Amino acid sequence: MAETLPDGTMMHSDALLERARQGDKNAQGKLVQLWYKRIYNFSYKFFFDHDLAMEVSQKTFISMHRNLIGLQDVARFKSWLYTIAVNYCREELRKRKTTRSVSLNDFPAGEDEVSYRWETSSGRSDNPEKQFRHTELSDLLQQCLMELSAEQREVVIMKEYEGLKFREIADALQVSENTVKSRMYYGLDGLKKILEKKNITKEALGYEL
Amino acid sequence: MNYKPDEGTLMAYLYGELDAAETERVEQYLQQHPQVQEQLHQLSTVRKRMGALNDVEVIAPPVFVDHEQRSIPFWKEGYFKITMGIAASFLFLLIAARLIGPEVTYSNGELRISFNDTPKKTTQEQLLTTNEVQQMINSSLVKNNETIAANWEESNQKIQESLQRNLNTNSARIDKLVSGVSAASQDQVRTFVAGMQEENLKLMKDYFQLSAKDQQVYVENLLVDFTKYLHEQRKQDLMLFQTRMNSIEKNTDQFKQETEQILASIISNPEGTIRKVNNY
Repeated sequence: MAETLPDGTMMHSDALLERARQGDKNAQGKLVQLWYKRIYNFSYKFFFDHDLAMEVSQKTFISMHRNLIGLQDVARFKSWLYTIAVNYCREELRKRKTTRSVSLNDFPAGEDEVSYRWETSSGRSDNPEKQFRHTELSDLLQQCLMELSAEQREVVIMKEYEGLKFREIADALQVSENTVKSRMYYGLDGLKKILEKKNITKEALGYEL
Repeated sequence: MNYKPDEGTLMAYLYGELDAAETERVEQYLQQHPQVQEQLHQLSTVRKRMGALNDVEVIAPPVFVDHEQRSIPFWKEGYFKITMGIAASFLFLLIAARLIGPEVTYSNGELRISFNDTPKKTTQEQLLTTNEVQQMINSSLVKNNETIAANWEESNQKIQESLQRNLNTNSARIDKLVSGVSAASQDQVRTFVAGMQEENLKLMKDYFQLSAKDQQVYVENLLVDFTKYLHEQRKQDLMLFQTRMNSIEKNTDQFKQETEQILASIISNPEGTIRKVNNY
């Protein structure tokens, strides 16, 4: 959550942004270094797929390079960057829907070709105490996240994991602040139901938390 | 209390994005509505559980920044490509020449790529000394001069011969003509002049005769015409005169009559006329 965010003073260094905007290569490189992890994690949580996350991150930063000079208000940089990332995420999602009709969530658990994550998580109930290693828990929660609609997922990730303010999310998605809050509400509500359905209770997680 | 926070406000409360006054109101409301508080609590538990989903570690690709605009590597630059292209094709040519068989030699600062002729020719030429070359040049010059001189001589002779021939024939003709003319001239001139005189005389006579006759006729005609004209003129004058006389006569008659009438009227009615005349 909050502790996952990089140092705020570094991220919001207006001087750095200004230098990057004027074409300073070092400053631009610095920006990429600072934000790459955030954008990658945002898209990774959105897709639950490393390759897609890499692709979106690359495209996002290429676009940032090209268009940074057109950014009028440096203070808007954060939401501006997420706007780019969200747009590429949506684009990839559309492509995926047209090319592959099966979403990742629909893979039957235990199928051989599917990544190991599914197998391990399907075997969770056999011996929970041993199998709740951290990555596996993360994958489990990630699966829950994938069950939300894309709209809710965007908002939940931005709020919960990226720590954006509602105002910033509204700015990034170009919808009203109330819409964002509403999506967040239903997103959390939906997650609650999904967690219950998957029987991930406080007791089950208590080991980790 | 009819205050009821909506979902949006609850979310803002949950994430601590409400101002102090609003937070106060929501908290009061939650105390009065435990079911809403419970609901919110559940959502916050969801948040906690989901919080276990951690970031994936990733390292930003280091060369990413320069990817777009900067630093084309030197081997991709145009000049380099062109020069390398030329060098490569040259090298290819050399190797190909080597492989096909013919000679590729480099000697005395001369690079020679030859395919089907032997390079002996050139070595022969190289053996020639400057003196030999000079001699060759000289001999050819001499030959040249000789032939030119011969040609010149020949043409000169021919021209002279033809001139001589022409001169001979022409002078013979002219002599003949001159002698003929001088023999015949005196008599002919005399007769010619006499003929000329006679002819002139004749012409003059004819001319005078003709002109005298014509003048006579002309003068006669002139005289006749003049008399005719005079007659005509006289006639016209007479007629004019007559008409003038007639008109004068008429006028005098008219005047006479008028005066008679006036006189008569004055005599018959003296007073009225006088008044009239006065008035007039």
